[in-house]
Amino acid sequence: MKFVSKAQDPWHLCAGEDGPQPHPAPADHKLLTLEQWHAVRDTWPAGLATGVLLPNDADVAELASDLPRLALVAVQFPKWVDGRAYTQARLLRVRHRFTGEIRAVGEVLVDMVPLLQRCGVDAVLMRADQSQEAAERALGFFPGHYQGDVNDHRPAFARTGA
Amino acid sequence: MYAYTDFDRQFVHARAAQFRDQLERHLAGQLPDEDFRALRLQNGWYIQRHAPMLRVAVPYGVLSSRQMRQLARIARDFDRGYGHFTTRQNLQYNWIPLPRAADVMDLLAEVDMHGIQTSGNCIRNITADVTAGVAADELVDPRPYAEVLRQWSTLHPEFAFLPRKFKIAISGAAEDRAAIGWHDIGLQLRKNDAGEVGFQVLVGGGMGRTPVVAQEINAFVPWHHILIYIEAIVRVYNRFGRRDNMYKARIKILVKAEGQAFFDAVNAEYQHILGEDEGGHEQIIPEAELARVAASFVTPTGVAAVPAIDIFEGADPAYRRWLERNVLPHKLSGYRAVTLSLKRVGLPPGDATDAQMEAAADLADQFSHGELRVSHDQNLLLPWVRESDLPALYAAAKANGFATPNIGLLSDMITCPGGDFCALANARSIPLASEITERFQDLDELWDIGDIDLHISGCINSCGHHHSGHIGVLGVDKDGTEWYQITLGGSDGSRLSGQAVAGKVIGPSFAADEAADAVEAVIATYRRERQAGERFIATVRRIGLDAFKQATNAIRRTTAAH
Repeated sequence: MKFVSKAQDPWHLCAGEDGPQPHPAPADHKLLTLEQWHAVRDTWPAGLATGVLLPNDADVAELASDLPRLALVAVQFPKWVDGRAYTQARLLRVRHRFTGEIRAVGEVLVDMVPLLQRCGVDAVLMRADQSQEAAERALGFFPGHYQGDVNDHRPAFARTGA
Repeated sequence: MYAYTDFDRQFVHARAAQFRDQLERHLAGQLPDEDFRALRLQNGWYIQRHAPMLRVAVPYGVLSSRQMRQLARIARDFDRGYGHFTTRQNLQYNWIPLPRAADVMDLLAEVDMHGIQTSGNCIRNITADVTAGVAADELVDPRPYAEVLRQWSTLHPEFAFLPRKFKIAISGAAEDRAAIGWHDIGLQLRKNDAGEVGFQVLVGGGMGRTPVVAQEINAFVPWHHILIYIEAIVRVYNRFGRRDNMYKARIKILVKAEGQAFFDAVNAEYQHILGEDEGGHEQIIPEAELARVAASFVTPTGVAAVPAIDIFEGADPAYRRWLERNVLPHKLSGYRAVTLSLKRVGLPPGDATDAQMEAAADLADQFSHGELRVSHDQNLLLPWVRESDLPALYAAAKANGFATPNIGLLSDMITCPGGDFCALANARSIPLASEITERFQDLDELWDIGDIDLHISGCINSCGHHHSGHIGVLGVDKDGTEWYQITLGGSDGSRLSGQAVAGKVIGPSFAADEAADAVEAVIATYRRERQAGERFIATVRRIGLDAFKQATNAIRRTTAAH
């Protein structure tokens, strides 16, 4: 799990004074809203490190054909107990085979990190008051899990039987 | 019962350690109340009126005597010497101080127990037929499947923060004793014409503010696909369930709003998992895994069919009553399942003291191979009792206050803890339950009234299942005082009660000092109006509500002027 520090993060949103720019200019490490991406994707050059910020009610299947062009998909937690983005992250990995970074942003707390990791999130931008040390500790409590997950598709029963 | 593996054991200890870390951060001021809340809930810790409440999971209601003794010890050493068994087959404590919470979780882990997902907006403890594995009318033993589902749902990373709580119940018998129609997912095990085992899957049931009975979404899901099918349901719910209004957030609202579109989305998702997902096929349950789990649910050593005896031979009237009410048929000749009634004068329904828990554990060791069950009706059950042991068990049960011969009768009521304990409640349940229990102590009278489900909830959250009671009582709050709304004709879906349905309100709410009179008037009306041999629920369905309305209006004093 990568713990993103805001100060050192190369990714940035493309916002103007009145909110998101309608047509951002191409450049590396732009994190585009879904609307921005839809506006520019037909003309967006290949080879740029590009990210999309996904609303948590978006259908990831609609982004499927664009995924090979994306280096990062940011999934959002507007409230930490709103669990829709866990499903988005998992489907990005196991159904749409996304291999870039999946980053959790918004109200991301220490105790979500183990769940996020199992759903395929590999980077977190935690809420400012959260402790990375506690989050790293939280990743280490369990000897394994019952269900298969993004990191090991086999449920416990398939692992012990192997 | 399920024998924990080393992994299972490490897992519950890890959960206890994780909770201790969270609790310590909370007590140190690093984890504020609003962030700690969802974490403690998913370990069973509520903040209640007097102290935190702890709900301990009893998966599908199965307990060993060793576990029961540990529960007694916790009641004695950490609580005030009692616990409360719930309609979801769990156990609740009411008085444990939060700073001692982590120590209790360690003690539970010592006996393979925990509070995982007994609260919170996640997949809750899975409930089952209390007589699973011993019922005479069983088609398929649900326990191995319930255990596989328990493992699958435990700390499922994708489904820890659903729109709202999510309850699954499973039945494998001809008779539904698990009220599966009232659950978010109801599972009925069945066999197809080829003799293969599968599940009828119901979805979208629930009580609360909007009672809805679950609908069939699939008539037959092959057993080895059940995890995938349930994943499809829960995923569609996680994506599309409402999160803007907690009263409209249960899956029942989504199912009602979307209808066939919901069913289509689930069936499409099921096909996507199987057809496209990495790891989709790995969730198909192998025969070997079912066999591994099922090996824990074999008939105990030393138990085998023996010639049946006439248990009523020479029985005196009191013993006969106990045999008729508290002793159930068994799949094995010469054996019975025996209910230990937790409904008696002097204690709230479902409560047991630490001494009673110890006594129940002793009875389980002596008469039932160390195994107990917690019933959906808030009683205990001994599943493996020899018919020849019944007289001795009766004497021992009686000595410990478990032998009230009232199972299925009026005083065998379902009641939530209500306003005496619960911070959510609008009204108290226990005083009303006590009043009714005291008024209807006479066994001849109880017997004459016959089979009847009285369900009392202290608020619309419906923990006391008032919607499914033949008589349902709902506590409501008006301007800070307690009132009680009465419904008639509800059903849990059992054969006796008929297809699951919510009861109908018989009029404006009754004042607290009228509620027991109103229940009594309902009973008197039934006794006057019934035909020979007609049960309460049948009379209600035949004559409708008017006679009951008249009778209950006649007892109104406080509310007479309204």
